[in-house]
Formats: sequence, C-alpha cells, structure tokens
Amino acid sequence: MTNSRWTTGIVLLALSSALSMGTWVRGGGDSDATDAEYQLLRDTQVVFRHVAQRVQPYLVKIETVGGSQPPARILPTEEDEDATPLERDPNLFRDAPGSRFVVSDGPTTGLVYRSDGYILSSSFNFVREPVLISVTLGDGRRLAADLVARDQVRKIALLKVDATDLPEPEWVDPEQVSVGQWAIALGLGFGGDRPSVTIGIVSALHRMKHNAIQTDAKLSPANYGGPLCDIHGRIMGLSVPMAQRPGELAGVEMYDSGIGFAVPKNRVDAIAEHLMTGHSFYRGWLGMQSDPHGSDGAKIVKIASPSPLEEAGVQVGDVIVRAEGKPIRNLGQLVQAIYMLPAGETVHLGLEREGEAYGVLVTLARNTELGSLSD
Amino acid sequence: MTRSVMISALALVMCGRTLSTNASGFDRAIDIASARVVKLYGVGAGMQEGYGTGVLVSPDGQVLTVSSLLIGARQILAVAHDGSRYGASLVHRDPARQLALLRLHPYDATHPVDQSNTQDSEAETDSVGPFPFFDLTVDTALEPGDWVIAAGNAFKVADGAERMSIAHGVFSVATRLDARRRARDFPYQGECLVIDAITSNPGAPGSALVNLDGGFLGMTGRVVLSNLTHTHLNHAIPRSVLLDFVEEANARAGGETEVAMVKAEAPQIVDLGIRLSRAGYRTILPFVERVRRNSPAARAGIKRDDLILSINGRAVDNVQDFDTRMKGTAPGERVLLVIRRGRIILDVQIETDYKP
Repeated sequence: MTNSRWTTGIVLLALSSALSMGTWVRGGGDSDATDAEYQLLRDTQVVFRHVAQRVQPYLVKIETVGGSQPPARILPTEEDEDATPLERDPNLFRDAPGSRFVVSDGPTTGLVYRSDGYILSSSFNFVREPVLISVTLGDGRRLAADLVARDQVRKIALLKVDATDLPEPEWVDPEQVSVGQWAIALGLGFGGDRPSVTIGIVSALHRMKHNAIQTDAKLSPANYGGPLCDIHGRIMGLSVPMAQRPGELAGVEMYDSGIGFAVPKNRVDAIAEHLMTGHSFYRGWLGMQSDPHGSDGAKIVKIASPSPLEEAGVQVGDVIVRAEGKPIRNLGQLVQAIYMLPAGETVHLGLEREGEAYGVLVTLARNTELGSLSD
Repeated sequence: MTRSVMISALALVMCGRTLSTNASGFDRAIDIASARVVKLYGVGAGMQEGYGTGVLVSPDGQVLTVSSLLIGARQILAVAHDGSRYGASLVHRDPARQLALLRLHPYDATHPVDQSNTQDSEAETDSVGPFPFFDLTVDTALEPGDWVIAAGNAFKVADGAERMSIAHGVFSVATRLDARRRARDFPYQGECLVIDAITSNPGAPGSALVNLDGGFLGMTGRVVLSNLTHTHLNHAIPRSVLLDFVEEANARAGGETEVAMVKAEAPQIVDLGIRLSRAGYRTILPFVERVRRNSPAARAGIKRDDLILSINGRAVDNVQDFDTRMKGTAPGERVLLVIRRGRIILDVQIETDYKP
C-alpha cells in the first residue's frame, strides 16, 4: 500500500486534469482541445518519470567478464556437483543463439526476485559462459554473483548474490494485464547510473505458448533482463530475448523491432523453484527427423536412439497427426506445438501406422540425452 | 485501492480519446521545432547520402549540423521551413565531436559560392534573416520518460516548403556515447541523450530534439551502432555540448579545434605500473602479476592477483583488450578500473603517468 501512495497521487492529479479537460472540450475551439491533449501528455510524462524512479531500486546492473576459456580451469564453480560433463559443456547453450545473434559487450540488466539475493535476468549476456559476474545493486553495493541456472525456453537466467535485504518489487497479476495498456521497459544496458526508459503498449497476451506478454516498447540488449512495467511501476514481466524461431535467442533483427516479449510473474514463479535447485530448464525434444514437405502429418524419417519416441515404441514411417489434441498437418505445426515445452514434460501424440491410428504419451528429453539418428 | 487507481487511470486515457481529432498535445513542440530546422543538400557518395538536416542557432542564419560528406560540398543548399532557399557555407567543423557550423547566405544558383572565400565575403549584402532560432544558452530540464519530438528530413521525404518529418518518443537516458560507424569507433565519446524515437536514418541526423514545450534539448547525432548493445543508437548531442562547440567556432571561425589537435599530438603510451599475467590460456584474463613500487597503480591500491574487469566502464575480457583500451588513454588522465579481489569488487581510480 505504501508503494502505491505516490501512484495514487499522480493518477489523481492526472484524473483531475482529465476531468477539467471536459470543460475545455465543451469550450469548442481546436486550441482548447490542443491544450487538453497537451495537458494529458504532460500527465503521462509525469507518470513515466515516476515509474522509472520507483522501479530503479529493484534493478541491478550486471557486468560479465570472460567466456572463451573453460570456466572450471579458471574458477571452479560450486554449482551442480552431480552434473555430467555434458551438462557443464557451454556449447549446450551456444546452440541457442539465432543466426544473426551478436553477443553484447555492455552491461545487462537484472531484477531483484527475492530479498535473499536471488536476481532474475535474461540469458542474453550469459551465452558466452562468463567466468565472472559482477552485480551492482540499486543501493550501489557491488557484489560477485553466481549464475544459478537458466531457463532455455523462456531465456531467463537466475543469479545469486550474498545479500539478505534486497527490496522486492511489486508484480502485476497477469490476469490484470490487458492489450493496449501502457508498457514501460527499463534497462541498464546503455551504461550510466539511471535506467533507460522506452515506452510502448501491451501488444498481445499469452504469446510464445503462454509464456510471454508481447509489447511494442523497444526491447533490445539495452533492456533485456529488466522489467516491463505498468503505469503504477508494477512489474508486468521480465523482458527476455525470445525469438520468432523456436528456441533461438533474439538476434539483431528483433531489436527495437516493435516485437518484444516479457515473461509474467506466474511463468517466472513456475520455474523459479526448479532453477533455485541449480538445475537449468531445457527445451524438450522428441528425437526424430521428419520430411519437411509432408502435408498429411509429420512423417518420421529417422528416430534417434535412445530417444523419447524410441522409448514409446514409435517407428520410422509412422506419421504424427495430432499433438496435445491439436491436428498436425506438417512438421512446422508439430514444432509449433512442442517447441516451448520443457524436457521432462509429457506430451500426448496421435500417430498413424499404415493407416491405423494409435496414441502414445511421450516424455520430452533434452537434446544431450538423444542418441544418434537412425533410419 | 489498486482497483480505483486503475479505474482513474483508465478514465484519464478514455477522456483523452474523446478530444478533437485534429488536436495534438505535440502541436506546440512540432511548430517550434519545424520552424527552426532547415533541409540541407550537398554532395553524396556511395553509401553517404548528400542530404541532411540542420538546426538554426542564431537569428542571422547560423546552422548546426553533423559533420558529414554533405558539408564538404562546394555549395550547400539550405531550404527553410517556408520553402525559401539559401546557400550555406562552412564556418567550422570539428571531427572530434562530428559537428559542423554553417552560415546561410543568399542563394544564387548561377554563381555557386566558393567556400574558401566565404569568411571574407560576409559583406552586409550577404546577410539573411532574421530567422526563428534556438537559443543554445537556455537550459531545459529533462528526465527519463519525458516526451521528445525530433524534426528532420529523414530519407529527404520532405521537399521544398513541405513540413519536416516528425518523430516522437521518450527520452531514455543520458549516457556516454560508445559507438561505431561501419567498422570504426565513432570519435565523439562524450555525453549523449538516448531517445526511443527513431532517428537513426539517412537525413535525420541534425534534427532538432525538443521537449513537449518546444524547449531545445539537443541535435540528433549521426547514424551509429552502439558498442555496448550492437543496436542502432537513436541519440542526440546535448545542448551544452553544442553550445561549447558554437562558442568555440565563433571564437576562432575556421580550422580544427585546439582540443582536437592537442589530443592528436598527445603521446599514446601511458603507464600504470602494473604487469599482467601473460601465461596460460589462449585468452588470458587480465590478472595483475606485479605492481611496481610507487607507481600510479600502487598509489591507487592495486594489488597482485587483482583481476581487472573494466576500464572506464568498458569491460575488459583479456590482456589484449586491456592493452587496446589503455592505448586510448592520455597521460595524466584519470582511469577508472573495476577490479575483482577474491569475492569483492572494487572501483579504483588511477591517475596515469608517462611511460618511464
């Protein structure tokens, strides 16, 4: 409630001028209307300024160093002692960047998630597996951070610093977000001590398999990892470099394109507990190759061994015609249906073998768990 | 409480939408900015366009613009907001700040003015104006989130007396420009105003950037890519930087600036008094191996095994990076290093010295 006080004040101020506008409009002339429009813009400007000021304490500046050398040889990390060598292989994430992806050299932004030192950011600056991560808190404290885990699907990174008293921001209930409302993105990627501000609106909801809010605020490495806020300075979502192509990190073609994505609270919460255990969240795979030109379903040309499909008894030559209850006419539709689902999630597939329909439950695997493809 | 706040905000937005369709709260700013910019035409070559925008900064026709191939033309044509045409000659340019100051004079299509003579030929018959102009000495407050309007001739879509193209957005943040044009670092590395209006387009550099009241904030800069984010950087050079330049230009009228010359002549070898680790991996992290006694680094408290994370805000990934960054430092300049010592991260300021 305390946090809302200033917004209430501002909005009341804005409201009073909005009400007085009625008089001006009735006054008739164009110049009156212009004055009213001008006053409206002034009021929104006051709101934008205050959003930036209100949210700044929850933002952290993240700087990363290194990445070309094997991390273990420079600075052994404590994370994930049980991880297999494959899991530690940085190439696991290097397959994700899109073809026009360029690693950022500047700082990136983070948002306090929990007062006990957990910080959310985007995967963007961690692609090159930095050896060192420095976090500058809103109060100016500078701390070394550990990369706890990443969500390869939503492009979120979870960091941890040794701190116990971080201020937690207020999030918006995703149900309360609506298309057309103002969206204010903040970030520290341009350097400087104050967050950069860009304004847009909420363009769409439930994008990227219900994982993201879409906005036309200009999202780019300047604000990935930072918050997308409403006019009250509450967090609608965490800005992330999700790309149009499945699983890719957004490349330069997405920057400031008018298409940006932010992950809302419920989707962050859904994976945060998992990430806090030090286990990253990976995209799920079926382990198959298909004819991309088919039109009567996704015909399986090769199956990896081992793979979820092999385990489920699916054979080469079978055709996937349904996934999660939706009809599948080609490989593209199959990819659309499953690419945002994580490894470990179970999917129902409807198939046809020599004209006979059958169904299987398949538990998606990580790409590193797949064997080689065979006919 | 939250609900009522949302409703009132909604009321605000809805009320705005019931207003006259011709009205715009930006009108005043647009009118002020449009009257104080000129369309410029010169020569282009290859990917460098021969057109641009300039900002009127004096009643007698001084025009600020960005330094580009365009202003090297033998005759520059300037078209004011009312369609009137003028010749423009170069008063002064500064490669370091990538700025240029022009002066308008009567346009004579049959006798192009030779630029080399313009300094001497400022006879009274050449005087033009008075023009509406921006007074660069007037400071305008600016906060991130404030509306901004840029008036300029992006893609030269405005012709003759046609109104300038207007871009709107908000002021994002003030920061230091760290950018490149094509493969080369951009020479100006001073303060810039990042905006979210799209101005990184051919012809748009040199646009006037104003706030909602038409208060002058700066002039949009050249098309550059940020070295930090690799995005196009929509930005403006702030009023204060422009004022310094114009005052300097008027004081000396012609030639390179003294500041730029001093910088060019300065010896590039500086010494902090540290030796970095050079053995080990293919890419060597900049760990301090030795600190010379009484050296600048020692005085600043740098210790052996410190890891250098950044110099003057630019991340340093390896020893080669460190060397490159240090080359851009002049002796006597203060260098801000961020170092990691164990689990602690420290800011260290070092006054650099000549290499002994």
